[in-house]
Amino acid sequence: MKTEAHNLLQKLHRRTEKCSVGCPILDRCLNGGIPCKSVTELVAESGSGKTQICLQLVLSAQLPPSHGGLSSSSLYIHTEFPFPIRRLKQLSRIFISSHSELLGSSDPCDRVFLRGVHSADEFVDAMPEIEFFLTYWKARLLPVRVIVVDSIAALFRSDFENSSLDLRKRSSLFFKISGGLKSLAERFGLAVLVTNQVVDFIGEDEGLNNGMRIGNFSELYSSGRRVCPALGLSWANCVNSRFFLSMDDEYEEGGGRVTKMRRLSVVFAPHLPQCSSRFVITTEGVFGVEMHKGNV
Amino acid sequence: MEIGMLPISASKRGKLLAAGYTTLHSIARTSPTHLARDIEVSESEALEILNVATRTSTLDRSCGSNTNIIDGGQTAWDMFNEERFSSLITTSCVDLDNILGGGINCKEVTEIGGVPGIGKTQIGIQLAVNVQIPLEYGGLGGKAIYIDTEGSFMVERVLQIAEACIEDMSEYSHHFHKDNQAYGVKMHPNSILENIFYFRVCSYTEQIALVNYLDKFVTEHKDVKIIIIDSVTFHFRQDFDDMALRTRLLGEMSLKLMKLARNFCLAVVMLNQVTTKHIEGSFQLTLALGDSWSHSCTNRIILYWNGNERHAYIDKSPSLKSASAPYSVTSRGIRNSTSSSKRIKMV
Repeated sequence: MKTEAHNLLQKLHRRTEKCSVGCPILDRCLNGGIPCKSVTELVAESGSGKTQICLQLVLSAQLPPSHGGLSSSSLYIHTEFPFPIRRLKQLSRIFISSHSELLGSSDPCDRVFLRGVHSADEFVDAMPEIEFFLTYWKARLLPVRVIVVDSIAALFRSDFENSSLDLRKRSSLFFKISGGLKSLAERFGLAVLVTNQVVDFIGEDEGLNNGMRIGNFSELYSSGRRVCPALGLSWANCVNSRFFLSMDDEYEEGGGRVTKMRRLSVVFAPHLPQCSSRFVITTEGVFGVEMHKGNV
Repeated sequence: MEIGMLPISASKRGKLLAAGYTTLHSIARTSPTHLARDIEVSESEALEILNVATRTSTLDRSCGSNTNIIDGGQTAWDMFNEERFSSLITTSCVDLDNILGGGINCKEVTEIGGVPGIGKTQIGIQLAVNVQIPLEYGGLGGKAIYIDTEGSFMVERVLQIAEACIEDMSEYSHHFHKDNQAYGVKMHPNSILENIFYFRVCSYTEQIALVNYLDKFVTEHKDVKIIIIDSVTFHFRQDFDDMALRTRLLGEMSLKLMKLARNFCLAVVMLNQVTTKHIEGSFQLTLALGDSWSHSCTNRIILYWNGNERHAYIDKSPSLKSASAPYSVTSRGIRNSTSSSKRIKMV
């Protein structure tokens, strides 16, 4: 318990610390990247690039602050199996070749710790373990300062029924998990990135309106379908910022390749205005695409 | 309080002192006729002096030093006077200020709730900045306590809003005192940051402990004029099996906050989340923490989306009529909604 008020100027920097997502264009849209000491959520349907952004984040976190990183290792908690280890290897090889002078000889994959979790209860039980792990690494050369949870929705997909008791238990677990993550984030200065799935919009049936407006957009579309973030209103209260990834049916053609266009938009964030950025996913990773003027 | 401090003309002040009235207390007991005879002015002038004196002394008293009748006792007339001069903190949105009767009231507990992304934290930050607007610009020149339970407080955003606030003030002073250089705004964004006391709490026990400690903290920092809790809800929505315990803890906390608001003449703003409530087969949105909690604030404001526009609605208030007003969140902070300013232009 801190009984002493912080002097905002001394204690905090003039800007909240951020961790780069590994692409200057996306970083600019996010004003530097994923903020430390808060919980950021990526919402998207499967295949839109959530995991790709997470993988790129845990690599660029290893860069020094001068290059947008945090000089840190990361903890990757995955709930969807298997973990895309081959893709991480591939990205890390590219990462080494472009940043060899900054990284020395160590393998970036050595700086990513993996932990598989199967259920929400297991996640809660793992909290003390995670805390111990963070404390252990705190004094090391590259302390752990990034936690990725990919994805939170998978934890809650199966075990709960649609009864009022189960719903209450479920939302209590949301707050417990998010409270735990936020308190770790505050104590260790972590950037926490959580991914979430979407569900189809089913309309205002029986008074249950899963299309209730949360944030900057009254309706969210991806691949031409109207979707809503999974886990509902309670979970939306648990995150500090929410970003939405969507896929359009546009394609960018260049160098003989056809690449699907995607878009990252700010749904809500205490520090960002409503904005969005287009990006593509290639073998080399996730890259923002400069908006053409008049095409926004 | 000395006579010398009264905002009246120097000659009258001299007359008062010559007649032996040295403290405010001494004139407070005299009648206008008596005073007029003693210092040789007309009766209406004497009345004016007395009015000024009571105003000054109520202001003085509202800071919590004076004891009247008996400790804690007060006549309704005193309360009315205090209320007339009690201070308001602007929200920077004219429409919102209008339905609030001028802004967020000191001495009251105001609860503001809404869905994620509606702008609760933005309003909180805006108020923490606005409370510092100096007296010359119609502000309070006070300081703010910001209790962050969720981690949504971002310094870069505070800086942005503070810079915009200073810009607005200098524009205002430029407008009204074109040829007076002395009115240039001397505030710096850094000093605005320095005057926000920031506490980050990570559990409900910490939150309760902090609220208990605030009494001491505010005694040491008397110029704190607003306490913002963003949000009051978060830690109370995890891990409570015993709902009766939760209600009791919340009740105790809200009593302490009300007491702080009254004793130190400061505004308490609690931000709250919304939840769905199952009423007679349909789901409705209500503020979180349940029915008994809804009694614990003086005013309750609900923020909601109306189409593409953000609106604020006064749900509960002993003195304000229920009304709603649009507002918008801009890069400069909370401002009037663009559609309403268009409407004004059209008229």
